[in-house]
Amino acid sequence: MSERVDLREFVGAFVVEAEELVAAANASLLDIEAGSAAGTAKPKAVRDLFRALHTIKGLASMIGVEPIVEIAHALETLLRTADRAGGQLGRAAIDVSLQGVLAIAERVRAVAENRAPASVPERLIEAIAATEANADTVTVTPSAGSVWDARLSASERQQLAPALRGTTSAWTLAFLPSDHNASRGVTIATVRARLAELGEIVKVVPRTLRDAAGAQTGLAFDILVVSTAPIEALAEAAATTPAEVVALAPPPAEPAGAGPAVELAGPGLEVTEDAAPIGRAVVRVELSRLDELQDQLSLLIVSRFRIERELAAHAALGHDVRRLREVVELQARQLRDLRRALLKARMVRVAEVFEPLTLLVRSVARSSHKDVRLELDTRDTELDKAVADRLLPAMVHLVRNAVDHAIEPPSDRAAAGKPTTGTIRVSCTQIAGNQLELTIEDDGRGIDRAEIARRARRSIESDDALLDVLATPGFSTRDTVTRTSGRGIGMDIVRRIAVRDLGGDLALTTRPGLGTRFTMRVPLTIAIIDVFSFECGNQTFVVPVAAIDEIFELTDAGVTPPRATPAGRAAGPAVAGPIVSLLERRGAAMPLLSLGAVLAIDDGTRARKALVTRRNGEPVAFAVDRMLGRYEVVVRSIDDPLVDVPGIAGATDLGDGRPTLVLDLGELAMLSRAGAAS
Amino acid sequence: MTLHVTFRVGNARYVVPAAEVLHLESYETATHVPGAPAYVAGLVQVRGRLVPVVDLRIRFGLPAIEHTIDRRVVVVQAGTRVAGLLVDSAREVLQIDDAAFEHPPELVERQTAGFVKAVATVAKRLFLLIDIPRVLGEELRP
Repeated sequence: MSERVDLREFVGAFVVEAEELVAAANASLLDIEAGSAAGTAKPKAVRDLFRALHTIKGLASMIGVEPIVEIAHALETLLRTADRAGGQLGRAAIDVSLQGVLAIAERVRAVAENRAPASVPERLIEAIAATEANADTVTVTPSAGSVWDARLSASERQQLAPALRGTTSAWTLAFLPSDHNASRGVTIATVRARLAELGEIVKVVPRTLRDAAGAQTGLAFDILVVSTAPIEALAEAAATTPAEVVALAPPPAEPAGAGPAVELAGPGLEVTEDAAPIGRAVVRVELSRLDELQDQLSLLIVSRFRIERELAAHAALGHDVRRLREVVELQARQLRDLRRALLKARMVRVAEVFEPLTLLVRSVARSSHKDVRLELDTRDTELDKAVADRLLPAMVHLVRNAVDHAIEPPSDRAAAGKPTTGTIRVSCTQIAGNQLELTIEDDGRGIDRAEIARRARRSIESDDALLDVLATPGFSTRDTVTRTSGRGIGMDIVRRIAVRDLGGDLALTTRPGLGTRFTMRVPLTIAIIDVFSFECGNQTFVVPVAAIDEIFELTDAGVTPPRATPAGRAAGPAVAGPIVSLLERRGAAMPLLSLGAVLAIDDGTRARKALVTRRNGEPVAFAVDRMLGRYEVVVRSIDDPLVDVPGIAGATDLGDGRPTLVLDLGELAMLSRAGAAS
Repeated sequence: MTLHVTFRVGNARYVVPAAEVLHLESYETATHVPGAPAYVAGLVQVRGRLVPVVDLRIRFGLPAIEHTIDRRVVVVQAGTRVAGLLVDSAREVLQIDDAAFEHPPELVERQTAGFVKAVATVAKRLFLLIDIPRVLGEELRP
């Protein structure tokens, strides 16, 4: 192998590692920012950030990407100061650091794409150097005394901070309610009122008094107050003695030796050999290697089908195949276990996948001058890396749209009586059928259906119809629709990803003035799925089990086999198949389509079974000839433009060595409706 | 000299550079893909890989023929795409001098709708060099 190849391999490893470190650095910065907003120091996040940058610097210098080395170095210097300040970064420092990490990320991307990375950003380096780590932070006391430490919220600590810096004084005292006090009209309420006149009450905490035996003897109130009043006045206010009023200890002095010299490292910040590694027993594997394993597994599954066929043939000849069958069944179970283990290896935590959304919301909110909070509730959900990679662009679209168009400017929100900070909530739950349900909900202005209807020149009766319009390619333009109505950019892409690429679905509910919610359901994995196979017009097809709500006998349902004239079918999108009839299932009307007619391969007269699927949440039945069975199959995508046809999700091998098409009935239902409407 | 794979469609002989050919497969049937262009015979599986097959008879406007044991799928690679060309027969490989290729006569060019990008005469036999991306419907690319 030549040196060149070695270097390229190393560059690949660098990119993987550096991208992960950039993500970690961003996460730490956001954590620090959140802490700074709440007045809480985040020393661990500062250290993690430092370590990530330090590692990036080392890696970059190994492959000689000097601009990354310089940026990382400048940021490290800034962070050393921050660490000495107890793990705080001011707003300016956080901003400049985010810019620095972004600049690093851009250059990592360049390396990944074999481009020359941009040169050293001198102005950014200067800006970093000129930034004081904690210029505008609220100084937070590391300790307010052991009794109070755990009890104080971030804002209470902040309230306490001036006192501990020595500008005022903080005192703790206790009030013990007693009959005597009560008879004089002194209760906790009057004590509070009196103390409030003398200073600022930070916190009052009730405490149960016990005797030596542990029996409950009474109640006391511990009070933390910031005041400049003399001790005696405080004691009197709380009906206690001055001796009981204790000053909170001032913070310990800066440790000697931590001088102002920037070049010197703060004590805890050096990266030492024994520093705990960020990833525990984790092996990073390129997805393509897992794909390769999966391909091998799929070949095994295919050969298992073949063995089963041979077995059936032998059984048909009257041979004794019991022992063989046992082995084949054992092997089937083992294959299932192997499949499960492999799937697990491909799973990534949704929380990790969606991490970039936090950064996205932050930057879009800033550039559009809005206050937006992103709530991520992903619990412990996981999904296939391949699904995650496809899903993220859709999530980015939805979240960006929500910030850009749905959330109103703070003044509008205030005028509408809403909190000035808008909230976008992204949540994620695993639901039945190995699917993940994602909701993206905002409390913005909602979508103006009437406005969209005017623009689309058609009536819009429901949210489903609204989504159809929004997801029409090329429907909206930024300057007209989005400003007035809230949504529209790239909805066709979002729906294509959810429905076409991932075999899931997308729905929308919106309430004017209150907000919009998108619900997306996607499969956890798209590699191996359970399918029903069936015959239609002499061709075998499969559909994902997850896409089918119900299968029923047409005759049982009192429906005669649908007759349809096969629609003429030119090359191009599958547009055919009128609704052949409406049937009633459980009191609801459901359209029945002839699959043979929709695909233009058959007239549908032999259809005996109906498969019920959903189109925008509404049931639709497809008439097919007969059901063949249920299989676990590996779905291969077919993306060559020659066979990239709507309604066909991929192909699989049922053991005969020939491709069997995997249909997307939901999409076919959609297309046939579009065909009927036009 | 460049090695070429030769094959027949109708009465004409065609060639593609051997470097662009991955396999030669016998052909029984392909899985019909509803909605695909009419010249797409369907999908076949070649060594675990899904390959769309273009029926060159249909692509070149010739009438369809009954199944024969001579029919072959010439699996070609064009950039990142892999596709099969369904031909009447494919039997030999041939070294052809690069200089032997000429611009197709106007008549051929017109009749073949641009699918032939050059012609060469070897041992008094005329070979038509196929423009693979064209045949695979490069215009279909999104």
